[in-house]
Amino acid sequence: MSRFTEEELIEKVQNGYMVESPEDMTEGYRKALRVQLTVQADTELMSAPSYWMAARHAPSTNTQVSAHAIIQDELAHANIAYRLLEDIGESKEHLVYGRQPHEFKHPYGFDQPLDNWADLVVANGFFDRAGITLLSDVYHNTSYAPLKRALVKVDMEETFHLRHGEVWMRRLSKAGGEASEMLQRSVDWMFPMTIEWFGLPDDLKRHSGQLDYKLKGLTNDQLRQVWMASTVPLCEELGLDAPAHWDQEKEEYVLDYPFPCQYDAEEKRWAFDEGEISWDDVFARWKGRGPMNEIYVESVQRSRMDVSRWFNGKAAA
Amino acid sequence: MSMREKVYDVFARKDRGDQLVHIGYVDAFDDDTAKVHAWTTYDEERWFEMCVVERTAIIPVNRQDGPFAKARREAHE
Repeated sequence: MSRFTEEELIEKVQNGYMVESPEDMTEGYRKALRVQLTVQADTELMSAPSYWMAARHAPSTNTQVSAHAIIQDELAHANIAYRLLEDIGESKEHLVYGRQPHEFKHPYGFDQPLDNWADLVVANGFFDRAGITLLSDVYHNTSYAPLKRALVKVDMEETFHLRHGEVWMRRLSKAGGEASEMLQRSVDWMFPMTIEWFGLPDDLKRHSGQLDYKLKGLTNDQLRQVWMASTVPLCEELGLDAPAHWDQEKEEYVLDYPFPCQYDAEEKRWAFDEGEISWDDVFARWKGRGPMNEIYVESVQRSRMDVSRWFNGKAAA
Repeated sequence: MSMREKVYDVFARKDRGDQLVHIGYVDAFDDDTAKVHAWTTYDEERWFEMCVVERTAIIPVNRQDGPFAKARREAHE
């Protein structure tokens, strides 16, 4: 039983109260925090196999080391987020090893294959930037103190991932020829993928409580703008085509394609020419998961079962 | 030996003269693996000093509703 009613807690956190333990929470707060932390943990976790399988495309031993340093960071971030979930009564064992691939809550972007070095560095430049955009908003606004403390490390390291992505995008674009063509191809599928990552537009957003409980500060559309404010100028500077531009009148970035629209995961191509689709269509595509979902989840879970079996001397459940 | 892990809290100080602060926590089978997990998980700084302590070993002083008190209660259940 919480020491506060929902209304009392909402008023307190809006006035700066920091929640420290489950006893301070209401059921609504705990649920909203659980959803937020699960998405965060699953996203960090699934980035690891995605980056790991792509790291084999690294062009040198030094770049292999950098790529693997990023993977190590992502796994540590996932571990920290799952530990935070344990503090509010969830089981890390179940969350990591007990769920089916389609039950993970990471974005659709991490169900896709990263097929070459350009894909990996654009993932660092775009996906990790989305991560920083979302998590630095959480860091500055969250009312949950243990999460705020944990994000100091995460923010520091995600900034390194982003720099890795930018440095390599710059190198590939300067090289010209096939290098910049490959880079453009990665941008073509990953720019709209990241835009979609931020979720429903504000005018369609169902009430989630995350803003009321001060688990975040900015809305989906505001976060999308923050991401574009650094990504679009980067692409322009590197001579890359990004399907968005600054609108002087509206004083915001606007997309140059129908949003949302359909994605052909096999071809890694957005169907701009087929026009706008509904968000129900998008949710159906997300729910169906992408081509690498089972492979990534299986790569994380596999060995746990094998080694448990060695310890127990019998087949693991 | 089993796959069951315990919670260890991680404390570190960045430089000589700094405060020792709680920087996070890890799960581990025993003290030795906890040391490894802490050192590899919290590698964002070149720590001057890092220590781990099993959560159930921490004795809460003034309140019984924090994670440390909860860990002790659960250990005795």
